[in-house]
Amino acid sequence: MVYYLIVCRSLTYAQRTASALERAGITTQILRSPKVIDQEGCSHSVKVSERNLADALTILARVELSPKRVYIMASDGSYKEVLL
Amino acid sequence: MIYLDSAATTLQKPPAVSRAASFATTHMASPGRGGHQPAMRAADTVFACRNAAAELFHVEDPGRVVFTMNATHGLNLAIKTLVKPGDTVLVSGYEHNAVTRPLYAQGADVRVVEGALFRPREILARFEEMMTPEVRCVVCNHVSNVFGFTLPVEKIAALCRRRGIAFVLDASQSAGNLPVFMDQLKAAFIAMPGHKGLLGPQGTGLLLCGEEVETKTLLEGGTGSLSARQEMPEFLPDRLEAGTLNVCGIAGLLEGIRYVRKKGTDRILNHEKSLTAQMAEGLMGMGHVRAYVDQKGDSQTGVLSFNIIGTDCEMAAQALGARGICVRAGLHCAPLAHKSAGTFETGTVRASVSPFNTPREIQLFLREIARMANT
Repeated sequence: MVYYLIVCRSLTYAQRTASALERAGITTQILRSPKVIDQEGCSHSVKVSERNLADALTILARVELSPKRVYIMASDGSYKEVLL
Repeated sequence: MIYLDSAATTLQKPPAVSRAASFATTHMASPGRGGHQPAMRAADTVFACRNAAAELFHVEDPGRVVFTMNATHGLNLAIKTLVKPGDTVLVSGYEHNAVTRPLYAQGADVRVVEGALFRPREILARFEEMMTPEVRCVVCNHVSNVFGFTLPVEKIAALCRRRGIAFVLDASQSAGNLPVFMDQLKAAFIAMPGHKGLLGPQGTGLLLCGEEVETKTLLEGGTGSLSARQEMPEFLPDRLEAGTLNVCGIAGLLEGIRYVRKKGTDRILNHEKSLTAQMAEGLMGMGHVRAYVDQKGDSQTGVLSFNIIGTDCEMAAQALGARGICVRAGLHCAPLAHKSAGTFETGTVRASVSPFNTPREIQLFLREIARMANT
């Protein structure tokens, strides 16, 4: 299944991001960012489904929680950065 | 046992506090350090506590609620961020060593705003006079840990804002029973313990950080973020939370804060004031007791100091302890407060209440004091 990872600068930021999305009815999961996308060491990401990304970004812009980066997991299991 | 030493640590807690701390001990791992269930459960609990504190104290961004070991830890972070050697800092005459010792260690030019006990207007006027252009920072407690004297901190904070002076509030004796609102005070920092009015376990505390402050670290280490870099992250709360958090304590603190929010700080304050008034009335009716009471105003909370004339304060506290009544005597780590009130030479006996004390307990306490005073 294709999904997006919203990379956050910290666990707390990821939790705030997930809370804002959950409040808006978007299902999320917080996970540690995969090493391959983790440019500066450890970070946390919020996982959202493919169909929810656009809404998620709109909501996050509204509550001023800007994602650090966004990645899509491709069908071969690799991650590609999404240009916002 | 009658426990009247809540200004040091509240001993009676809501049962959920110890249940949560105990559960965390065996079910929660390091938040932010793993993606497995015990780590994520810990992360959820820590975030819930951050959110609950942010709501109670009106902090818009829960990321600016930093967990500390106690209020002293938070005050050290605040003072060592804001104050450089030689900086001029104003403090009230009722500060604790948790404020004055870090200022001394920083080599600050500390100016004490003197004022008589239970005279908030006089103190406010003195603050206004002494806020001269060279003043870099004001550090002030909300409530004296010795006398329960509530300082006019809302007005002092407003003066600081008007004059562009950083304001640090020590809310050690007010968090959980008085309104402490970051959005109103707009303080640079507000420090508080978790183990007093917030009814959490010892080893917990909170530092609320203002929006425009760049913080300095006291500790550096792992944060579970930006691990490839050697500099500490610039963002909060990670910047000030190096090392594994006290998750067991935070789990308990969350339940303490939930209790306070459910009960309401105004109800807690009214209960504590009522018990203090009962103590004050009883003590003032005893010929051989000198009690430090705000008889005219409304500037005393759930802390009351007294002396039994002719009896050393430590001996009086020890005798009460032997009768199963727990109070604290001496200088209460606040020599400045005692100097301001004229009790530095003698010290005082301090009785302080919590939401769990009862009028019956105060009655028994007064009965023992009357017996001691008459022997």
